[in-house]
Amino acid sequence: MAFNLTRRKFLQTASLAAAAVPLSKVVSASTGVTKAPLDAKGTNGDKTVVGGICEMCFWRCQLVGKVRDGRLMKLEGNPKSIDNGTAICARGNAGVKLLYDVDRLKYPMKNVGKRGEPKWKRISWKEALDECGSKLKSTVDKYGAQGICVFPHGSSAKYPMHYFERAVGTHNVSEASFFQCRGIRDTAYVATIGKAPGEKIDMPNTKVLFFIGDHLGENVHVSHIKAYIQGLQNGAKLIVADPRFSASAAKADIWVQIKPGTDTAYILAIMNYLVKNNKYDKKFVEEHTDGFEEFSAAISEWSLEKAAKECDIPAEQIKEVAEMLAANAPNVAIHPGRHVSWYGNDFQRQRALACLTGILGAYYVKGGWVPSKGPKVGGVSWAKEDHGHKYNLNFDHHEDEKVHPFNPPGTPTELIRDCAISGKPYPIKSCVVWGQNPMQTIPGQEKMKDLFRAMDFVMCVDVMPTDVTMWADILLPEASYLERYDYIKKGTQWDLSKEHQQYISARIPFIPAMFERKDQIYITNEIAKRMGHEAKIPVKTIEEMVDKSLATANLSIEKLKAEDGIHIQPGKDPYGIPEDFEVLLYNEDIEDAGHPGAPTYKPVEQPPKGFARLLYGRAPVHTFNRSQNNVWLKNAMPDNPVWLNDQVAANLGLIDGDVVGFVNSEGVESRTTTTVKVTPGIRKDCVYMYHGYGSANPLLTIGVGAGVDDQSLITKLAVDPETGCNGMRNNFVKLIKDGKVLDIPA
Amino acid sequence: MPSPDTSQDIATLYRFLAQCMHYPDSDWMNEDFLNVFYNLLGTLGGIEEGVEIRKSINNAEDYLEDLQVEYTRLFINGVPHVVAPPYGSVYMDKSLQGTFAGNTLAFYREKGFAMDQNADLPDHLIHELEFLSLLAEENDSAGEKEFLKKLFRPWYTQFHARVTKEAHHPYFRVVVMLIDFFTKEEDEDGFQPNEA
Amino acid sequence: MQYGMIIDLERCVGCHACTIACRAEWEVPVPYQRNWVKRLGPTMTDDGMASTYYPGLCNHCDKPPCVDECPADTVEMTFTDYKSGKTKTMEVAATWKDPFDGSVQVDKERCLGCGACADACPYGARYVNPDLADDDSEGKVDKCTYCKPRVEAGLIPACVQTCITDARIFGDLSDPNSEVSKYVKKGAKGLEVKGGHLGPNSRYFGNKKDMGLLFADYTPEMADMGSVKRRAMMASMVKPAMKKAKDIGLLGLAGAMLVKGLSDNEDSK
Repeated sequence: MAFNLTRRKFLQTASLAAAAVPLSKVVSASTGVTKAPLDAKGTNGDKTVVGGICEMCFWRCQLVGKVRDGRLMKLEGNPKSIDNGTAICARGNAGVKLLYDVDRLKYPMKNVGKRGEPKWKRISWKEALDECGSKLKSTVDKYGAQGICVFPHGSSAKYPMHYFERAVGTHNVSEASFFQCRGIRDTAYVATIGKAPGEKIDMPNTKVLFFIGDHLGENVHVSHIKAYIQGLQNGAKLIVADPRFSASAAKADIWVQIKPGTDTAYILAIMNYLVKNNKYDKKFVEEHTDGFEEFSAAISEWSLEKAAKECDIPAEQIKEVAEMLAANAPNVAIHPGRHVSWYGNDFQRQRALACLTGILGAYYVKGGWVPSKGPKVGGVSWAKEDHGHKYNLNFDHHEDEKVHPFNPPGTPTELIRDCAISGKPYPIKSCVVWGQNPMQTIPGQEKMKDLFRAMDFVMCVDVMPTDVTMWADILLPEASYLERYDYIKKGTQWDLSKEHQQYISARIPFIPAMFERKDQIYITNEIAKRMGHEAKIPVKTIEEMVDKSLATANLSIEKLKAEDGIHIQPGKDPYGIPEDFEVLLYNEDIEDAGHPGAPTYKPVEQPPKGFARLLYGRAPVHTFNRSQNNVWLKNAMPDNPVWLNDQVAANLGLIDGDVVGFVNSEGVESRTTTTVKVTPGIRKDCVYMYHGYGSANPLLTIGVGAGVDDQSLITKLAVDPETGCNGMRNNFVKLIKDGKVLDIPA
Repeated sequence: MPSPDTSQDIATLYRFLAQCMHYPDSDWMNEDFLNVFYNLLGTLGGIEEGVEIRKSINNAEDYLEDLQVEYTRLFINGVPHVVAPPYGSVYMDKSLQGTFAGNTLAFYREKGFAMDQNADLPDHLIHELEFLSLLAEENDSAGEKEFLKKLFRPWYTQFHARVTKEAHHPYFRVVVMLIDFFTKEEDEDGFQPNEA
Repeated sequence: MQYGMIIDLERCVGCHACTIACRAEWEVPVPYQRNWVKRLGPTMTDDGMASTYYPGLCNHCDKPPCVDECPADTVEMTFTDYKSGKTKTMEVAATWKDPFDGSVQVDKERCLGCGACADACPYGARYVNPDLADDDSEGKVDKCTYCKPRVEAGLIPACVQTCITDARIFGDLSDPNSEVSKYVKKGAKGLEVKGGHLGPNSRYFGNKKDMGLLFADYTPEMADMGSVKRRAMMASMVKPAMKKAKDIGLLGLAGAMLVKGLSDNEDSK
């Protein structure tokens, strides 16, 4: 002990008095604790607060909060909800722990060290916004609006994304949810039926459910799971094609243990069988499809035998599935998928699913693909402006057409990264990351780092210190979904056979934003003012935005609060096909753009000798890596064991629980290790793990280093030619045990 | 029972300790403050500690920024991780606003205090020290003792250990040492029992 | 009445909503738990490839082995049926089976934290929470109460309320018309211990393959009562030291009544 007095002695001596006088001069007069009368008793029961909308994932269930003494104690499903009801999933329940996560961003910070090796210093909002405003403005002044690239994600990123796209005028915006997730699904269905499919299949009322890789149960969205389980309870047959005995496969009537990458061949063979044997819906094909001849000719090579060989499954089983679909058509639900950027041949697979639904006549019928008729609520955002094609990286100026003709909105990630790193065709010098973690959601981590190194300025807005935030110059703390107004959630009852109802709800905070966290409207507007766009600002506050949107449906925040957070009104019958609905079995525009106009299978690269294909998927308690630092969720599933075929394991001498690392075919090793899960429930040519584990960011004190980060091993990127989206399942790994690299037997 | 005057002085002392834990800002972190701080250390026989701090402050290009970066790293968000969040609940419940924070607030209530609108969370080190100062002002030494034992020391010892181990800047090491010194439980003779 | 819970494995998707809701509702600290979900398989069974879940919780057994092991001094306690208002007085230690609703409960005030009951439970459904240690104990035992306080306030258990597929059903097994009894008639079964007759009241329903997997993997053995008894005995032996604590407890009780009396007087003024 350094001090030569004890506390007691010091307090008894005159030294205290002598010391205390000067002390009193340098302390501030106010304290955070003030004298107050004793609270009246009787407020012991927790207060129920309404109006919450979950954002632990993007399904966005409706919540109520239980608040005690200003502390949010618990989240529950809103009993008035006709979507999730009183139910919320594990992640929803654990939202409290995100709110109170000690690692969460609290104040604006400036990096006074090197980019990527930050030394953070807390600064004031004024200083932070001045810096963002002036740096972004100087980029625009020097290089033009295209000098800014934006990586947005989530509902709070919409408003700033529109600002940068519309008011500032950059095309260089890339949303992970499109390019690395479901974008291909949407554009492929748009190219087939004219609309994005969502996951709008009428599962509760179907006779057959057909999943290609969908692993509902591990992938959890509450009302979607309700619909799925209701369908099974009502007697629907379930067919699951997956190299792995997934949560869905475990409930399936038929498990198709398909070879990875060959799904399109499988679907083509089913369709060819239906066509050749006259088991398709002729009336529907006649009335609502186009290009049947070209289509049937193009797929005619796909005999059951050919597909059986390609997909490594019995021909008899393909026939069984085709027969089951035909026998129950049109009341069959072909799931359009969600995360579909797999192998770089995905646009064609998604087209095939849309066509299969078509030849079975399963659009707008009971148990088929049926978009529910929800209420109309207008949105409010920045006014659209035309900024031309000149600086659109997805536009080939020689050919005067798009590079990836069926790209989702925004610019493909690779085009932005290549341009930013090379400076060609023009410099990109500032980067805005808003709620996205491109270090983990976009494959090619080194390339992402190179992008950041090429920048003059990087700003990040987030609730958590995710991996990407280490690359920010200015890091801004955003109010979480429990602390802000925001998103308007609307829809219908999930079982379309029940009374038709519509609902409208809006996100209303349960507690005020803690520390100095701010919402997206404040942050965007303050930056806009500093970049000279004050006159274009569409709304002053987030409450104003929500109220203006609600007003289009004759509602307001106050009215919603009075209705327990959810407005319910009569709905409409969603069944019945629109007259002009058309399925383009063969799409000439695709052919004209240089790609196959009928669904076509393109084989994918096979694992080199000694390697297995790396597959990944969802854990029911996590939303990618966003929830890795949640102490409750971490405890529920602390790591992501790698699934390994039992015979392969026996060959390698591995047993359940052995600790292994990985090296991929490009020599990249995993930073961390995980355990082996030995099971007959996976093919020999692949291994599987939950996605989102093994975060590298030490700022996440709970999540860091738990399990293995699959993304760090995904270094080879397939690019889906029609869409420019990334295929992530063409990476191959070997296991490492005790420093020894193990060859996977063929 | 300390005399009212002594109580007032103890109150001031707690307030001073609370002040030391604020985000370093030129409003208060200045020559005057530092001189008082060195003086207090001198009175306690902590000359060496004072010299060490003075050295690192004098040698710094921008001592305030150094302190700000260190404060941010230690208490807000840091690399490789936020070292020692100054909230009791983090140590007792592994989360902000856990049961422990609720109990702390309940204790304030019991003593007739409530949180200010602009206050941080109830179990923030600064507020706990402020609360101790208010108890001292009211000459409630029994309350002070109970609070220290039940709601302060259980987490403070862990916090103190983390800062002591991880702090790069001597200022924070010495501040947590001071707080430790003034909040430790002692027996009649001034001996401190070992804390597990 | 005998409360019971059905877990329908046909509906369960293993999502963990139940475990997290329980944690929030009762502030159960990590890493302890009142309920759990374990994933079983995929593995090859006689009925084909299978994978299912073991969502576990206290079974509120007909003959709970935990209750007998509690070494705390017994006290006379009067139980009230919250529905009929009927009362019944019994001698109980710090844990007991409720004579009206059949649930197994704990009195944390009197719990010695010795853990004998937790050791006696073959399902691992009890834990000693060391955060609740006080002068009289090394912690307090905690477990699933079938959300008794919620149920008596007219709510359903937190895990049941949040279950996203309605795979958890709570009710009265002694009422033949209840939803839970209908499931029992359809074949819902509890995880009875090998060679024992505890009568678990949390029961599972599922297809042959999944039930086979669950029962093969998680049929428990009776706990080694020898070591449980030793634990309980040791806790009893240190009772002289606890006596002091108990006296204080009694004083505290008297004090509280005194205060209450005074405040009543104040109210009547």
